[in-house]
Amino acid sequence: MTEGNPLLHCDGVSRWFGGIHALKGVSIAVERGEIFGLVGPNGSGKTTLVNCITGFYPPQQGRILFEGRQINGMKPHRIAASGIARTFQNVALFRGMTVLDNILMGRHIFMRPNPLASLFYPWWARREEIAHRQSVERIIDLLQLESVRDEHADVIPLGLQKRVELARALSAEPRMLVLDEPMAGMNQEEKEYMVRFILDAQEQLGLTVLIIEHHMDVVTAICDRVLVLNDGAEIAQGPARQAIADPKVVAAYIGTTRDAA
Amino acid sequence: MFYRLSGIHHTRYESARALWPVPADRWQVVALAVLALAAPLFVSNLYLGSYILPWLIWAAAALSLSLLMGLAGQLHFGFAAVMAIGAYSSIHLVRAGVPFELALLGAGVVSALIGTVFGAAALRVKGLYLVMATLAMQYLVDWVIINVPAISGGAQATLRTPAVSFLGLPISTLIERYYFALGWAVLITLFFMNVKRTSFGRALVAIRDKDFAAAVIGVDPFRYKLMAFLTSSFIGGVTGAVLAFCYYRAVTPEQFSFNVSIQLVAMVLVGGLGSAIGGYLGAGFVLLVPIFLTNFIAGLGESGWIYISQNLMAHLPLIFYGAMIIGFLLLEPLGLAKIYDNIRKALLVWPFRHSRS
Repeated sequence: MTEGNPLLHCDGVSRWFGGIHALKGVSIAVERGEIFGLVGPNGSGKTTLVNCITGFYPPQQGRILFEGRQINGMKPHRIAASGIARTFQNVALFRGMTVLDNILMGRHIFMRPNPLASLFYPWWARREEIAHRQSVERIIDLLQLESVRDEHADVIPLGLQKRVELARALSAEPRMLVLDEPMAGMNQEEKEYMVRFILDAQEQLGLTVLIIEHHMDVVTAICDRVLVLNDGAEIAQGPARQAIADPKVVAAYIGTTRDAA
Repeated sequence: MFYRLSGIHHTRYESARALWPVPADRWQVVALAVLALAAPLFVSNLYLGSYILPWLIWAAAALSLSLLMGLAGQLHFGFAAVMAIGAYSSIHLVRAGVPFELALLGAGVVSALIGTVFGAAALRVKGLYLVMATLAMQYLVDWVIINVPAISGGAQATLRTPAVSFLGLPISTLIERYYFALGWAVLITLFFMNVKRTSFGRALVAIRDKDFAAAVIGVDPFRYKLMAFLTSSFIGGVTGAVLAFCYYRAVTPEQFSFNVSIQLVAMVLVGGLGSAIGGYLGAGFVLLVPIFLTNFIAGLGESGWIYISQNLMAHLPLIFYGAMIIGFLLLEPLGLAKIYDNIRKALLVWPFRHSRS
């Protein structure tokens, strides 16, 4: 283990799906304030690990601690309330809502929704709605989403949809942000914007970031440390450039000369 | 044309969040309110009592169901049973001497409790399986009402509603009943629209659209599915009571049979899922179009333009009615409310046409 008291600590996390051993005793310790990368070929267990952390698939073995508290076994909405927000590889916006309402959903854990408050809107719900609208507007400012605020979430381009999803996660004021391939399917320009927004958010909001990413240029540029997974097991961990240059990692990604022969 | 967005500048979040930010919409609402309030002056008692009054109450019922089906995305094919529970509860409460105001609340509470018990199936099953669970509710409630004399007064019995008054105002003449139903419909409509613009409605829509994404942002799917059933069943139950006291004035089990549940689902679908104006358009379509079609075709037959046999006469309106439902759903799957919305948007940008979607 690294020094003292990591923000997120996965200890020997294992997960099976039937006969498939998707995660084989993976351990990571993400320190406060760092950007931690998860890389590895397709099907290596990156998203499974993230799903274990956010509570979709509780690990069958191992422990996950967030701020020293055990979170494996908790329901996803409880984990969200304890300060972890995430985005999805395939954009998971609420299609029937506007961009603004999508981002407002991020404030859900701070609001007290109930039908009576809605019924007595002018006396009860309005103040809460306005207060949270103000904090959402700060996130909209930060991510430059003003122009699409009132559009429906499913009609804006993919690059913007991913940014809206990031905004929704940020407006929950998480201490830990989990990004699952935030740049998948983006062109170079959108990618550079996204990197800038992630760095801005991390700096301004004091976030710790766990990011799954396939673009190695991005990984080496922004990640402090990375974990490389292959076939559900760790093959390298450490500072980004070092870990990615590891012969085992190169072999996992593009094969060895022996394989090619 | 009539609608203009130019010149509307929101400087406060309150005004941007208003129910009707566009002046033309506000004028429409005012005009509708005036028409509705003045209706007893210019509408004959026959039309008021047999068309407009039931239309308002069924619109409130459709909105109750639309909260569940349209916003929360939970299918319910036994909503007439929820209304039946409300109707019978309120009558028995009033007969037991409970004031009408409290009886309405009691009807809502009983419907909400029983509706939520069956709705709890939604925590486990989705889609068609939830349809089966709610159908089971319809048949169970029907059976209990018919077979427990203490509720229905006997298998073929009709329970007359006692004379009641609301906050000191008697509800017996047609005009009194009309205004009471109007008040209830307006209250439900405002409630529905307010739910849609507050965190409660957003949480329901989030669960409908992407339940896993809702969970990961902190929405407890179990809690909000149950809340959706609870709220919808509560207002559905009170609407059932209003229907019994203001329109039927006597209840029998057949008034809340399976057919009625299907009609309610049709109202919500034809009107437009999760739309306030859709509730009114859908209820109007399902209730009134068959009547107008029947009158129209009977008129054609009597005028001697075409010969229609007595046998065909009974079926022809149904054929046209079915064709209209299919036609509307093919033309605009999002319902009559979407057609209204398209027209409104076209007017907003007239004379340009770039809003066409």
